[in-house]
Amino acid sequence: MRKMVEILDAKTREKLCFLDKVEPQATIAEIKNLFTKTHPQWYPARQSLRLDPKGKSLKDEDVLQKLPVGTTATLFFRDLGAQISWVTVFLTEYAGPLFIYLLFYFRVPFIYGHKYDFTSSRHTVVHLACICHSSHYVKRLLETLFVHRFSHGTMPLRNIFKNCTYYWGFAAWMAYYINHPLYTPPTYGAQQVKLALTIFVICQLGNFSIHMALRDLRPAGSKTRKIPYPTKNPFTWLFLLVSCPNYTYEVGSWIGFAIMTQCVPVALFSLVGFTQMTIWAKGKHRSYLKEFRDYPPLRMPIIPFLL
Amino acid sequence: MAAVAATAATKGNGGGSGRAGAGEGGGTRKRKGPGPVATAYLVIYNVVMTAGWLVIAVGLVRAYLAKGSYHSLYYSIEKPLKFFQTGALLEILHCAIGIVPSSVVLTSFQVMSRVFLIWAVTHSVKEVQSEDSVLLFVIAWTITEIIRYSFYTFSLLNHLPYIIKWARYTLFIVLYPMGVTGELLTIYAALPFVRQAGLYSISLPNKYNFSFDYYTFLILVMISYIPLFPQLYFHMIHQRRKILSRTEEHKKFD
Repeated sequence: MRKMVEILDAKTREKLCFLDKVEPQATIAEIKNLFTKTHPQWYPARQSLRLDPKGKSLKDEDVLQKLPVGTTATLFFRDLGAQISWVTVFLTEYAGPLFIYLLFYFRVPFIYGHKYDFTSSRHTVVHLACICHSSHYVKRLLETLFVHRFSHGTMPLRNIFKNCTYYWGFAAWMAYYINHPLYTPPTYGAQQVKLALTIFVICQLGNFSIHMALRDLRPAGSKTRKIPYPTKNPFTWLFLLVSCPNYTYEVGSWIGFAIMTQCVPVALFSLVGFTQMTIWAKGKHRSYLKEFRDYPPLRMPIIPFLL
Repeated sequence: MAAVAATAATKGNGGGSGRAGAGEGGGTRKRKGPGPVATAYLVIYNVVMTAGWLVIAVGLVRAYLAKGSYHSLYYSIEKPLKFFQTGALLEILHCAIGIVPSSVVLTSFQVMSRVFLIWAVTHSVKEVQSEDSVLLFVIAWTITEIIRYSFYTFSLLNHLPYIIKWARYTLFIVLYPMGVTGELLTIYAALPFVRQAGLYSISLPNKYNFSFDYYTFLILVMISYIPLFPQLYFHMIHQRRKILSRTEEHKKFD
């Protein structure tokens, strides 16, 4: 029994589109595609369709038949604004720091005094820091291309400007001091650097392990959500204590890098990152609790037992 | 910015419930409002603050009459100004614990910018304390705060005289630009002394691998007024249209 769908603007209630002869098993995704045909400027990624003008967005997988509507379904449309894919944003925001840091490392002209152009630091830790920072962002780029599975394809366009300013700005700020001709190596010398490097490497391996574990939770192309559990990989055993061990390890990596370089801007970057990741971890933790009745009670969002 | 932000987006200090004084951006949302203990505390807070800024106002007038000129009046109200403006930090706490329905971020921004001007500029750079620009922003802040805190007091008691609401949403038209001018001129006057003394600045090399140039920082602060002031100012103008026209309509039905 074919259904009819009318789409109204959520704010003005203006009738934007009327679709007749829609299959009852049609998904919201298909309806979005039909809507784009009459309004090509609103491609599916920027459409939010809901049953109630102030309600939650319907998911792409929702089936028309299963919604609480009659023979004619009334859907309300909100324009989410220009969208950009997550992959594009990630690649751009991570490629920046990789490139920018190297500009400072090689002491490209006009950053430091001209007598320092293309010179090299005499401190081992500065070379080590460059390797750590660069491999960190290479890792992120590779994970974006080959590991992560995104539940939403896109985000609002303005995010790319916000995110790039943050990543690129901090990368430049940190790199300026670490690669400065007047850089002062850590107070406790090689011991400090060795300890910090160990922390950094362990946390990077940990973070990667978690990303792989999360990827394996979700088959390619699906949007299923499951509770993550520890696997045979010891790095994943942190799942016993926190919901988002990837964030825990990430904070750890940056703390390691801060100790290694003994540089205040790095510490500040770690602090800001920690604040943001804690907000995300708490949100993720809350949605896990809401979605799964049997969610392990011992887990905290980001710091075992504490936060 | 401190002058502007103080009157702008805060629903602050408990004045949110009911029609009177509400609508600083929320419109018709039904807010729970603070409980009886919180309300009593907020009333006391707002009364104390109103009184404090009145003390500053009176202090200014008396000093003017005694001296016969309006120069260097800062010294006569320095202590209460520091005390009551710094006391406003409590307002951040009020938002954080939820007894006031404003955004913590917005309130922090506005209070911190005031505190910054009082301590990090005027107090820290003694040479600017005799500048007339200081009087300019002190007067703007004083009038603004007296009205703002009495506005909140009356709103909490659900008895807001129209004149206070009118004053709050009208006087800013002059007080904002006045305050901003005073603030900018004061920061500008401080610059050479900051440069000379290397105030609050740290240079390389040092073991924290960090540097900070307070002089440049102050210049950036001044530049930030360019995008921020118009936004806040026009937001208030928009609020004024919304709130004062709504009251006119209600009066028609009385």
